[in-house]
Amino acid sequence: MWWTRPLVRLAAAALLPLLVPAIITIALWVLPGDPADIICPPEICDGTAALAARWNLDQGPYHFYAHWVGQALQGDFGNSWRVQQGVPVGGLIAESLPTTAELVLLALVPLTLASLLAALGWLPRRLDPLWQAIGLAPAVIFALLAAAAIEIRFGAISHEGLPALVRLLAGALVLGVADGSLAAAIVGTRTTFEEEVKERYIGVGVLRGEPVLANALPNVLPALVGQLRARTVHLLSGAVVVEVVLGIPGLGELLFRGTLMQDFGVVLAASWAFSLLASALMCGQALIEILHALAIRRFPAGVLPTEEVPG
Amino acid sequence: MSGPRGDRTRVRWAALAGVLLAVLLVASALAPEYVSVPEPDRAYLSPLQAPPFGTDDRGIPLLDYALQGASIVTLPALASGLLVALLATLAGLVRCLDRPWLDGALQAVSELVGALPRLVVVLVVALMLPRQARGLLPIGLTWALLAAPGAMDEAAATAQRLGGSRFVEALRAHGFSGARIYLVHLVWFNLRPVIVRQAAEVLMQVVFLEIALSYLALRPPPAPAFTHADSEYSWATLLYQGYAALLGLPLVHSLVTGLMLVALVAVMAQAMRLAGRAR
Repeated sequence: MWWTRPLVRLAAAALLPLLVPAIITIALWVLPGDPADIICPPEICDGTAALAARWNLDQGPYHFYAHWVGQALQGDFGNSWRVQQGVPVGGLIAESLPTTAELVLLALVPLTLASLLAALGWLPRRLDPLWQAIGLAPAVIFALLAAAAIEIRFGAISHEGLPALVRLLAGALVLGVADGSLAAAIVGTRTTFEEEVKERYIGVGVLRGEPVLANALPNVLPALVGQLRARTVHLLSGAVVVEVVLGIPGLGELLFRGTLMQDFGVVLAASWAFSLLASALMCGQALIEILHALAIRRFPAGVLPTEEVPG
Repeated sequence: MSGPRGDRTRVRWAALAGVLLAVLLVASALAPEYVSVPEPDRAYLSPLQAPPFGTDDRGIPLLDYALQGASIVTLPALASGLLVALLATLAGLVRCLDRPWLDGALQAVSELVGALPRLVVVLVVALMLPRQARGLLPIGLTWALLAAPGAMDEAAATAQRLGGSRFVEALRAHGFSGARIYLVHLVWFNLRPVIVRQAAEVLMQVVFLEIALSYLALRPPPAPAFTHADSEYSWATLLYQGYAALLGLPLVHSLVTGLMLVALVAVMAQAMRLAGRAR
């Protein structure tokens, strides 16, 4: 059935935002020790009993989970107790999310461009080892080089105006190139197209004078969308490192600060926001798969009808 | 590449990977419990003045950092690589066992696990680990579990291309034993390239993950690292000093040493991948 995969994906997308807090809840109660001590160890926290009461940790895992998810669905994540004391976590998330979205979208630009060039066959195969060699370098290396260059040019505390824009652009470039992102985009797209081009219908299309890309694209679209989603998730993961090193105030930076400063509320909310982003990507993929399947059913050949063939 | 020439090439890559892995293991075994006592009068010495790597701004030999860094990453990275190899092997074997429900369950889990940004999960795990249990091993194994779905999917697809259960039936008809079919024909001859490549990649990624997490923790205000004890120094220290070198401090040799260690791991992973290529 053509709808099985998209349906499973939609179900997974709906499940993911519920699953992430569920796994964290289970871990809190499965790990040795009191859940309140885990989220804020007594050596750095005082008032554990009050903390347990405020977070519903004293009423068991189900109550904690149901209360947290219920509040989160209303946009209430409580207040930060360490990252920015007393500030609503929802506000911190709302401030940082657009920056991360911008960073990832900008990072997708070179990747999409490279994919397009690879699909058109305009990127020579002999350059592949170069992309792969560049991709071997971890993001932290490129990020620290970029951070040093920015610090020399604009100073260490330059986070407004042009320097902020430069940090964002440098971060996007680092994300797009490091950790194998660029190499995966080029090789992945080229391989997908090359496999498809071997199909007989493409040969028939060529004999009929039709362009290869126009024939192959409808059939490789679901695979390309899947690759794009995987790439975006990869970029979201890398964004944490890039944002911290380059001082970009995004969701990854917030999550890392929350983890370092043991601010459980911030970490739980930020990881939930990441799971929402992942869900949205899954939904997007499923919807494109559905639209694609419906379009293929309406125009089954994937090639132009004979009377429309030029010449 | 096939034939005797291809075999020789693979052996050379395997030898290189083996040598580099041995270097890491020896370095990890030789790591001192604590770095040397700071000697300010020996600060900023170049590799020629204080072989092999020179000293930092406190006069501590960079060799101490390199050895301690190796001891932090080597075993957890190897364990993570092996875990991915094991899970990918199992996924390949399951595809040949003709158990559609198990295959479906694996795919569903892969879909869910693969949907999450890995570093986000790693940070949540790092937060929840009790302080005394903090280290690279649990973080590396978490990373391996998150990377496993991709590896399992690829191994299963490779087994599927062979024909899955029909491949096993065909070999049974030739009179081969189960162990030979699964371990030699399936795993060694066909799944090996995928398993070795995925394991090598995860091994490398776990080392780089340690460097990234430690580097982030070193940034001001410095905080305890998630991956090692406060008394230990990771390779990230060298890169952090390298950052200072880019801003003008005479510590270029720290940057070079840090980059060299990163390159060593990357080359080792590539050598493993090339050694495991199909005939």
